[in-house]
Amino acid sequence: MTRYLTRRLAHAALLLLAVSVFSFALLQLAPGDFFAPLKLNPQISARTVEGLRAQYGLDRPWPVRYGHWLRGVFHGDLGPSFAYNSPVAPLLAVRARNTLLLTGTAMLWAWLIAIPLGIVSAVRRGKWSDRAGGVVTSALLTIPDLVLFLAILLLAVRSGWFPTGGMVSTAFGELSGRGRAMDIAYHLFLPALALAIATLPALVRHIRSAMIEVLQAPFIRAARAHGISEYRVLLRYALPVAANPLISLFGFSVATMLSASLLVEVILSWPGIGPLLLEAILAKDVYVVLGTVMLSSVFLVLGNLVADLLLFAVDPRIRMES
Amino acid sequence: MGRTHIWAKCAALGLAVACLGAPTKARAGQASDDRMVLEGVPGHAGGRLVVALRSEPKTLNPVLAVDEPSREVIRCLSADLIHINRASLKTEPALAKSWNVSRDGRQYTLQLRRGLRFSDGAPFDADDVVFSFQVYLDEKIDSTQRDLLVVGGKPITVVKVDQYTVRFEMAQPYAAAGRLFDGVAILPRHLLEASYKGGGFSEAWNLSMAANQFAGLGPFRLKEYVPGQQVTLERNPYYWKADRAGNPLPYLGEVMFLFVPSEDAQVIRFQAGDTDALSRFSSENFAVLQKQQGTKGYHLDDLGPGLEYNFLFFNLNDLGAKNLPEIAKKQSWFQDLRFRQAVSAAIDRDGIVRLVYGGRATAIWDQVTPGNKLWVDDKIAHPKRSVERARELLQSAGYSWKNGALVDPRGKAVEFSILTSASNAQRTKIATIIQDDLSQLGITVQVVPLDFHAMVDRLQSSYNYEAAVMGLVSGDADPTSEMNVWLSNGETHLWHPNQAKPATPWESEMDGLMEKQLVTLDYAKRKQLYDRVQEIVAEELPVICLVSPNILVGAANRVGNFRPAILVPYALWNIDQLYVQ
Repeated sequence: MTRYLTRRLAHAALLLLAVSVFSFALLQLAPGDFFAPLKLNPQISARTVEGLRAQYGLDRPWPVRYGHWLRGVFHGDLGPSFAYNSPVAPLLAVRARNTLLLTGTAMLWAWLIAIPLGIVSAVRRGKWSDRAGGVVTSALLTIPDLVLFLAILLLAVRSGWFPTGGMVSTAFGELSGRGRAMDIAYHLFLPALALAIATLPALVRHIRSAMIEVLQAPFIRAARAHGISEYRVLLRYALPVAANPLISLFGFSVATMLSASLLVEVILSWPGIGPLLLEAILAKDVYVVLGTVMLSSVFLVLGNLVADLLLFAVDPRIRMES
Repeated sequence: MGRTHIWAKCAALGLAVACLGAPTKARAGQASDDRMVLEGVPGHAGGRLVVALRSEPKTLNPVLAVDEPSREVIRCLSADLIHINRASLKTEPALAKSWNVSRDGRQYTLQLRRGLRFSDGAPFDADDVVFSFQVYLDEKIDSTQRDLLVVGGKPITVVKVDQYTVRFEMAQPYAAAGRLFDGVAILPRHLLEASYKGGGFSEAWNLSMAANQFAGLGPFRLKEYVPGQQVTLERNPYYWKADRAGNPLPYLGEVMFLFVPSEDAQVIRFQAGDTDALSRFSSENFAVLQKQQGTKGYHLDDLGPGLEYNFLFFNLNDLGAKNLPEIAKKQSWFQDLRFRQAVSAAIDRDGIVRLVYGGRATAIWDQVTPGNKLWVDDKIAHPKRSVERARELLQSAGYSWKNGALVDPRGKAVEFSILTSASNAQRTKIATIIQDDLSQLGITVQVVPLDFHAMVDRLQSSYNYEAAVMGLVSGDADPTSEMNVWLSNGETHLWHPNQAKPATPWESEMDGLMEKQLVTLDYAKRKQLYDRVQEIVAEELPVICLVSPNILVGAANRVGNFRPAILVPYALWNIDQLYVQ
């Protein structure tokens, strides 16, 4: 177990290092830096712009800056934000919390809906309810996330039932503790729903096919032949075996969830890392971009690590290999 | 001997009236005789105004702020010595209740209001002013405001005369000196001196500070900042203005800035009634909002052209040292005045107004828009679009047509590309219309939308471009804010920046005119000088001015005293007078 864990952690660290080098290099390849637009301001002199660049070390070559940044990371310093005149880490912390709240809720919903749906359509394979489900999931799969999110925004605007953005209402400060929780839940509903719908169809289809495969296995027939109830066969015998590919799927779904959440956050003004990242990319606030990319990579790596550990726990074959 | 500013006299008169009217309403700790009294409808006290910001403020430090959202918030939190009234576009007293200018125009002596307090209750006096300017002018801080305070190559100097008098001295007379003070927020020495001396100033007053570390002289003070969501300001009980009934200003109990990352989302939030005021939005959104203007509780205003001018310009840089032979060859066209005149004549400015801005813009032929009533030159001709005239001009310059395509005197087909910023949809559309207009002259134009940073790099560093469509927004209605654009050694003399000596006779003339207007104190004489600059721009076409978008604003009907203006901040400049019903 320890050996397995160390090997996985070493992989993760290497991956993160590679991501950081590539992101940093790519950010430097694009011409112009954060302070370039100031050059077009008639009221700001070139000397001042150069002074600002020097203050943030932008006059040094990028490998030097990368080394400096990397050294900082080991001391918990993710570099400065040029725009915010402040370290990147605290900027990310609050927003990452909001993003986790959103993606966590959406992930929970998506799985809670997908597992029963997937099982039901596997059991009723070929029947009309399975086919209808197939049509709906393929339709949802073909709709681009952007269109889906805009449609949901349109629903909010037209109906007036839901807030059109933000995480709390303007009167949040005057609410009681319970009222505040309700207010956040009210604002959370639409973005989380959008995100859950976006990831749901792929999950349902994977669960369905995994279950179908297992249900055809000889041991299931044997179980049925022993007169064990269908309900028990499904949940006690089939599901744990089908769990294997689903756990790997969980690791991947963290990645899709994170990239979709960036879009949802921007469209529905959810104060997560999405709007921060978008603004930082447009403004070339490089350390903010880098910090956000690294944070997303860490989430991704952690998601996969958790999935691997779960697999390790449930699948004896993996235990044998290591 | 000096001359007192007329605005100071008016204010003094107003103050006297206020004292007679309601002496009992003066707040404790504030000398009522030095309060400034504002005209306008007395409003209701209390309530909250909610507005959206395109992105978060990055800092609340007035010395370091460079982006508009930060400045928008800082303007509500701070005050300057002399202020530009956004309605009249003229200077008026602010923290300085009056000022004298020495005969030679180099010395400004400012009388500060007495008994004022910062929003934390600490008293304000000349030491705070001297400290503030020391920080702004510190070379190590690299404040972008510093450049405005450098006159004739030397930073202005500040001397404390007594507790409520300060004297500013400039290296040369400076016509718009009063306007320099606008937006230079006075800092509380008692809160910032330690971090300034201790070297931590670059992170002072960033958004992670506690609200009680912050204080200013503005109508509001910081209440709470929620990262990614909003910043809330509360009424400053020590504010130094009152209405004509003697009620202390501001009326509003709170101002809340929500962070809404896109224009469309802002429009939606405004439409839904979540926010109370809206500015900086496109004519398309204006049209959308207009449809529901009657049924929902808001109204919209089209203020006419602002101070932004959009233009096309060609690369006239000296490319000798750069390895850009293709562009250098094309410069023989760009440098030919008749070529530029032909391009200008062939562009359908009214078409741009109609197609890009849905009619909510104004065609222009020089850099001063009709919105800038103090400085616009009415004598500038506004020729209609004429492809025939363009053809005549090109013919007279030796150009001809081969199979409908324009060829230059050496037989080379005329073809060039126009850079625009991909993030600005309007300017990309303008470039596309120019492409179409010029195709009627047989000129092939490619439109190249680029990332803004990449575009700046090409315009300002590598000079690797042929033509570009850009816009500038004058920081102020006064021509001094445009010095760097029109001086040939200016860094934003876009078509050919940083010239060692003027490349053309007309640039040399323009240099002389701009330098002279800077030191001339008489408005009428300055106007004559700047009129001539506008004439040169219209005649020589270093930039082909095209269009100035109208300033569009909206406000909820419940907002009282709403008087939007064409100078930033368009909607909230009189936030100390706004109230909600």
